[in-house]
Amino acid sequence: MRDILKRKSVILLICIFLAGFLSPMLIAGHPSDVVGAPFARPLWWNAKLPLSSEYEVGNSAVEIKWDKLPPEIFAINGRITADPEKEVRIIWSTPQGEQVLDILRGSDVYWINMDGRDMIFKQKLGLPLIGKSAEHLFPSGGRYSLRTERAKETELSLSLSGGREGLLGTDQRGRDVLTLLIFGIRTSLIVGISATLIASLLGLGLGLATGYIGGWFDALVMRIVDVFLSIPTLPIMMVLAGLWGKGLWQMVLILSIFSWMGTARSVRALVLTVRESPWVEGLRVLGAKRGYILWRHLVPEAAPILLANIALGVPGAILAEAGLAFLGLSDPRLISWGRMLHEAHSFGAFTEGAWWLLIPPGLGIVALCLIFMDIGRYLEEKIDPRLGTGKNA
Amino acid sequence: MKNRWFWSRLFSSIGVLAAVLVLNFILFRIMPGDAVSTIIDPNFSPEAKDRLRELYGLDKPLLEQFFIYIKQMLTFSFGLSFLSRKPVWDEILSRLPGTLFLMATSMFLSSALGIWLGIKAALNRGKLAERIVLRAGAVTASFPGFFVQLVLIMLLARTFPIFPLRGSVSIPQPTGALSVTLDYLWHMALPILSLTLMGFGGWALYVRNLMVKVLGEDFVLMARARGLSENRVVYGHAFRTILPPILTILLMSVPGLVSGAVITESVFSLHGVGTFLLEAVSGHDYPSAGAAFYMLALITVISNLLADVVYGLVDPRVRVGGRDQ
Repeated sequence: MRDILKRKSVILLICIFLAGFLSPMLIAGHPSDVVGAPFARPLWWNAKLPLSSEYEVGNSAVEIKWDKLPPEIFAINGRITADPEKEVRIIWSTPQGEQVLDILRGSDVYWINMDGRDMIFKQKLGLPLIGKSAEHLFPSGGRYSLRTERAKETELSLSLSGGREGLLGTDQRGRDVLTLLIFGIRTSLIVGISATLIASLLGLGLGLATGYIGGWFDALVMRIVDVFLSIPTLPIMMVLAGLWGKGLWQMVLILSIFSWMGTARSVRALVLTVRESPWVEGLRVLGAKRGYILWRHLVPEAAPILLANIALGVPGAILAEAGLAFLGLSDPRLISWGRMLHEAHSFGAFTEGAWWLLIPPGLGIVALCLIFMDIGRYLEEKIDPRLGTGKNA
Repeated sequence: MKNRWFWSRLFSSIGVLAAVLVLNFILFRIMPGDAVSTIIDPNFSPEAKDRLRELYGLDKPLLEQFFIYIKQMLTFSFGLSFLSRKPVWDEILSRLPGTLFLMATSMFLSSALGIWLGIKAALNRGKLAERIVLRAGAVTASFPGFFVQLVLIMLLARTFPIFPLRGSVSIPQPTGALSVTLDYLWHMALPILSLTLMGFGGWALYVRNLMVKVLGEDFVLMARARGLSENRVVYGHAFRTILPPILTILLMSVPGLVSGAVITESVFSLHGVGTFLLEAVSGHDYPSAGAAFYMLALITVISNLLADVVYGLVDPRVRVGGRDQ
């Protein structure tokens, strides 16, 4: 058992654990912070796409050299003070000519809050209402500048959100996908492991009880197992999620209700064989109580099976959680990989061709499942070396 | 004796169905409050609340509710949907063919492909072909279905727009029986393809293992010694003996198949019972949700029963009643 730390999947799992539980503390912002334009590509994807940039516009004009595709968002925020008599203009000059973005009059302080995506902004400039205004504001490469005319004091900031943001791009709300991905690890691990733990303990208890007590109790529980195994679990989990609410612990509970059957069956089978063995019979003859035999002899006997069952059960729970979250039946505030896929599916990842919203969470789920399956197989081989290839036995 | 096998399976199916009915009844009545408290505004007057309870029969004692409910379920009169105010049964009836078609075709295609590849792998033990089949099977089986489907949509409906992005029919719907059928198949191609892709791996692994064992048995050696053709040996003798375990797996795969169909319908926005269930669950439409769940469970129970009957036909030992001992 000591060489378990040499197994690659175990090392990977430890790394994922650390990433999932430690890095949220190290990441400064909140995962739902908007960091850039919606559907921004990953940084390394296309060098023609601009990065986000911000310019301070003072009393003199700000010069911008542009040689990339137009930015995603063109926004100006800040304050202009002026003489109320005079007409203040905000002017955007492009290589093709000048464009007046706004004309202000009649006040001594103006608070500017312009966004290229606003309808009013597009209307003022006579731009088509559908489509990106930034494409009209950045017709080609060259020198651009932003300045104000006849203002006393100008304190504006021009922010150009680029089409590239973060290592894995952004989602439909402009959140950083990598941050979401890292925060999603925790949900998958918590739900997967705790649901499997609860289910395994339930299965252990019921397996021990049915195997040892037998009789009508055994028959009843085994019938319930049969029923649970022969009804489709996803629909019933959907119904339960709809009825009980969508929180994290409801999810854990729902998943564990439908995954104890396998463990119960294998523990019961074990108990049935061990119960009749000479040493248990001997214990009985010596006057050992039922509880003592169960706790001191049968539970340790079942422990290895349980361990392997837990490891092999986690992928199923992770997949089920992801499936429910993908269907939108999880807490919307809870970041999980399934939820990310749900949002990608429902909020236009396909029309945007946003593959970076699909691949990272999907591969995350696959990787986590494969890791747990590998660990489970390893534990199984340890318990029963005949299963193995001989390599680890 | 054949009848005894059949009747025992029938009784067991009825037992499962009864359990589903009870479960369905309990589920919708053990939640906090009752079904009405979630659809009615808390600001409603007590009389209005009472009238609504009366309308849905929630004012009666629980036992009486149960009998009314059983009668409703057995006669498929599920009442009106909270959302659309239309009879739930009409909705389900219009969606049932789509779900059944999706399940049946994907089950047939994935098992056929998997069995064929599994046999081929068993016949080519130790060769590259076997390793490819086994590896491909292991990989496809470990991917979550909806993820594969999302990637397939991205690839084959977005980047290379061969298939439609979503839906069961084009809008506007084409006219003429032939073009409607073709349009439907075109929409179903990607869902079925993806389910087949994900389903065949498990079959291939399983059949390969069974086949390897059987091919080593004496009767296969005997068949070969008799000079039978390879095809005859493999399909007429070896394969016949592994049919019963294959049918067992088929039977056990049905619940998963239903779950897969539900999620596939949601991914592709298909017109089916699964999407109906999802809409009902997210819209707190309890009559519809209960009915959709009941129908999906019914599909499972009936297909299990069918598989049992076929099992009896394929395996003479079962027919003669040997399985009871």
